[in-house]
Amino acid sequence: MSTAAQRFLQDAAVKSADLMHREVIRRGMDSYDAAHLKGRARIKDWEAARQKCQEIKREAINHLDRYLLQFEEKVIARGGHVYWAANSEEACSYVKNLAARFGVRTVVKSKSMVTEEIHLSPALEQAGIKVWETDLGEFIVQLRNEPPYHIVTPAMHLNRGQIAQLFREKLDPAIASDDPRDLMAVARRKLREAFFAAEMGISGANFLVADAGVIAISTNEGNGRLCTSLPRIHVVVTGIEKVIPRLEDLAVLWPVLATSGTGQGITTYGTLIGGPRRAGEVDGAEEFHVVLVDNGRSQLLADAEQREVLHCIRCGACLNICPVFRHVGGHTYGTTYPGPIGSVLTPHLNGIKEFKHLSYASSLCGACTSVCPVKINLHHHLLQNRRNATEAGATKSSERMMFRAWRSAMLHPRIYALGGWSMRKALRILYGLGLAGSILDPMRVWNRYRSPVPLPSESFRAIWRKDRKQDRRKNLGAN
Amino acid sequence: MVQTKEAQTEKAHVENASRDGILQQIRAGLRTAVPEPAAIGSEHVIFEPIIFEPISNPLERFQQECVSNLMECALTADCAASARQLSEVLQPLPEGEIFVQDDPSLRRLVEMMTELAASTRAIRWSSEGAPAEAAQATVTLAEALIAQTGSILVTSACGGRGASVIAPCHIVYATTAQLVPDLATALGRVSQERIFDSNSFACVISGSSRTADIEKILVQGAHGPRRLVVILQTGS
Amino acid sequence: MKRKVSLFIPCFVDQLLPQVAVDTVKVLRRLGYGVDYPEDQTCCGQPAFNTGYWDEARPCAEHFVRVFKHADVVVCPSGSCATMVRTFYADLLASSSLRADALALASRTFEFSEFLVRVEAVTQVGATFPHTVTYHASCHGLRELKLRDEPLQLLRQVNGLTLIEMVRSEECCGFGGTFAAKFPDISGAMGNSKAENVAATGAEFVTAIDPSCLLHLEGILGKRQAPTRTIHLASILAHESRTNEAQKDESLPQEGP
Repeated sequence: MSTAAQRFLQDAAVKSADLMHREVIRRGMDSYDAAHLKGRARIKDWEAARQKCQEIKREAINHLDRYLLQFEEKVIARGGHVYWAANSEEACSYVKNLAARFGVRTVVKSKSMVTEEIHLSPALEQAGIKVWETDLGEFIVQLRNEPPYHIVTPAMHLNRGQIAQLFREKLDPAIASDDPRDLMAVARRKLREAFFAAEMGISGANFLVADAGVIAISTNEGNGRLCTSLPRIHVVVTGIEKVIPRLEDLAVLWPVLATSGTGQGITTYGTLIGGPRRAGEVDGAEEFHVVLVDNGRSQLLADAEQREVLHCIRCGACLNICPVFRHVGGHTYGTTYPGPIGSVLTPHLNGIKEFKHLSYASSLCGACTSVCPVKINLHHHLLQNRRNATEAGATKSSERMMFRAWRSAMLHPRIYALGGWSMRKALRILYGLGLAGSILDPMRVWNRYRSPVPLPSESFRAIWRKDRKQDRRKNLGAN
Repeated sequence: MVQTKEAQTEKAHVENASRDGILQQIRAGLRTAVPEPAAIGSEHVIFEPIIFEPISNPLERFQQECVSNLMECALTADCAASARQLSEVLQPLPEGEIFVQDDPSLRRLVEMMTELAASTRAIRWSSEGAPAEAAQATVTLAEALIAQTGSILVTSACGGRGASVIAPCHIVYATTAQLVPDLATALGRVSQERIFDSNSFACVISGSSRTADIEKILVQGAHGPRRLVVILQTGS
Repeated sequence: MKRKVSLFIPCFVDQLLPQVAVDTVKVLRRLGYGVDYPEDQTCCGQPAFNTGYWDEARPCAEHFVRVFKHADVVVCPSGSCATMVRTFYADLLASSSLRADALALASRTFEFSEFLVRVEAVTQVGATFPHTVTYHASCHGLRELKLRDEPLQLLRQVNGLTLIEMVRSEECCGFGGTFAAKFPDISGAMGNSKAENVAATGAEFVTAIDPSCLLHLEGILGKRQAPTRTIHLASILAHESRTNEAQKDESLPQEGP
């Protein structure tokens, strides 16, 4: 078992038993569920919307090179820069070099999962640059020195009391109120200094619009707006799969993203930026750099079954509905991307041996697939990952032996019947001796959380055969 | 020496060692045949399905959306009424600069307002530079209003990027003639009018800034404006 | 007499919950169907398949296809097992010589409530069950077979039955087969959440179309010493009013004329 798998098991065990944690998530998710339903009601034909979004992303991904080149050409024509980074190191180096070139001391960041993926903040901080996360949730977890808990609401695991206490410790001991409005006001005052002082603003991009050659960012707080308006340099860090063919595609993608992400009809700000400030414009960054991050995505294109995983628009709906997520929370996954999409994607980005365990940490209930706005068949991909792990020889040989034995039994009805009868008999004896749950009990894992399984004296097959015999004697029945 | 566009592009590509490798990998990956998705059983669909309810009354819809977006929408009949409305919004605001997009219609509006109001406020025009950090309000035009989502579409030309986000109160002066029914129409227009040929920035704004990052409780007014006010003039 | 139905009884139902199978036969015979049980059936292959051991699952699936090859229609009182055949045999047996047979078999394999309501348009099965019952929407039946209303239609026609809706009825119970073995803590936590939702209804019984969910829930509820008991949909439908009930035992009812 990989170390990541071991840690996951431990953390999952702890979190599964943490009823307070479960209550916090449940409240958050209930709130989301209610909002999401309202949001869905604003769209006349939700299934048609999903279908359309799937088609848009499929077209984009299936012609990824063409659309990326179209996007790049337009951005460069306006004086922007596009840098293609094969991996995290290249992406971080580029941004670090840029910062060094322009004497950047302070960076303001709006939320970007890709910057988490490439560990950009630590790289910049090592170079002596102060990085401010400006999205309120990200700002909070940054102060706590922990990763985001959820890709859309990074601090949903904390209550207002904890956040007030955190602000008292890190920002201002005089903070008296734990009202969310007052806490926001504290954050706003603090971060405003950073917005106006920073030389560089870093953002992600929800979409890269090929025909217009613009990035599109969906936000609510206005921090993304300030990061991309005030500092002299604007850097966009984004995955290559974010591209979409046309500006008009946003007419359906924007509402669908908002509905799936937070239940809103549309996010407060749908920002479109195509380059540095033009001559004659009042303000805006003088330098505009888009860093296109590959980091394993181009390889996923070659996977006929799973290419569609690149359609993901990072809405977080699959996390919200996943019962596993609801019981263990976002930190337990130990990956940049938690939840179902994280479980599917991470083996491709970070290696199947290390992260295959996440694909097994699912009951394959399929709820994720049912809510995905771009119709990614998530739970089937988890199943495929399991098969891929087996084929890659990444599973325990003892497990394989066990299933080989199981197969042999199942191919021989009499052996199966005998095996079943023996198992029931043995367990009845064992439990009769009061050894349920002991080291001798093969069902002890079951019995940890459940009362013992029923152990009938006759299988259905036995009952049927008896019945058939009686029928033949009584001359009844058509069989 | 000014580089030609081609030379610029060439230079950028040469300095980016991984670019070709990534493109190659993408093209190689795309050569894999991916099965077409199973039909969703709608073989009988001839027409494009209607995803959003068509909007019969854009003005009414826009006003409804403003309410749910926590935006203020004040209908006015003419310039004089608009000037009065602007004065009403600005008057109670704390001391501090009011930043206004430098446009003839706004010049006229401010002039009318100044005539009406007892006191004058310090106005800073966008032609003088970006809004100050301590600005109390900004006043801009919009490119369009979108009924479907209760949105305003602004560009760099509307006083710059900061004009719609820096101050705690953003006021938009618009007319009902600027209403378009939906996002598709608005974005179509952005494409047709090649907005990005002359603007580095555009934004669809659908309310005041907000966050629900603390306990999923909605807080109005985050880093951006707490108030978004649309003065919507029906007459000319 | 109506058509003959071939019973597909999941391995764990055969071994641990035979009453579910008995009750399925009872209902089908009451409605006038001929019932056959191919005795050579063992397992559809789901456990190995779900754990990623497709090479080991494949021969079991092929055995299954051979056993049911001549069945007119196959009925299974388990959403997940019916799903295995209907949804996943195509993938699993994609390069098998039995692929065509598997696809043909899949198209005539149904979950029990699906067979009654969708295929045979039957919702009234002459059952009496004067108790309060809450319904858990098992995942495979719900999301793979798209069975949302069919089990409820059957329950609503049961004489004396009071249906109480559960919150988050569509949230997974947490069993998931090998998931319960590999991640027992999460599985247990999910089961307990479901048990809480069940308890909140105050119902005497919780029912579902998947015996695996019910096995898991019965265990969870038992450990919590909760008053609610699990009962499979087929067992509810098999119940007759006390005045008509001949015998309340495990033996199979006689076949009709």
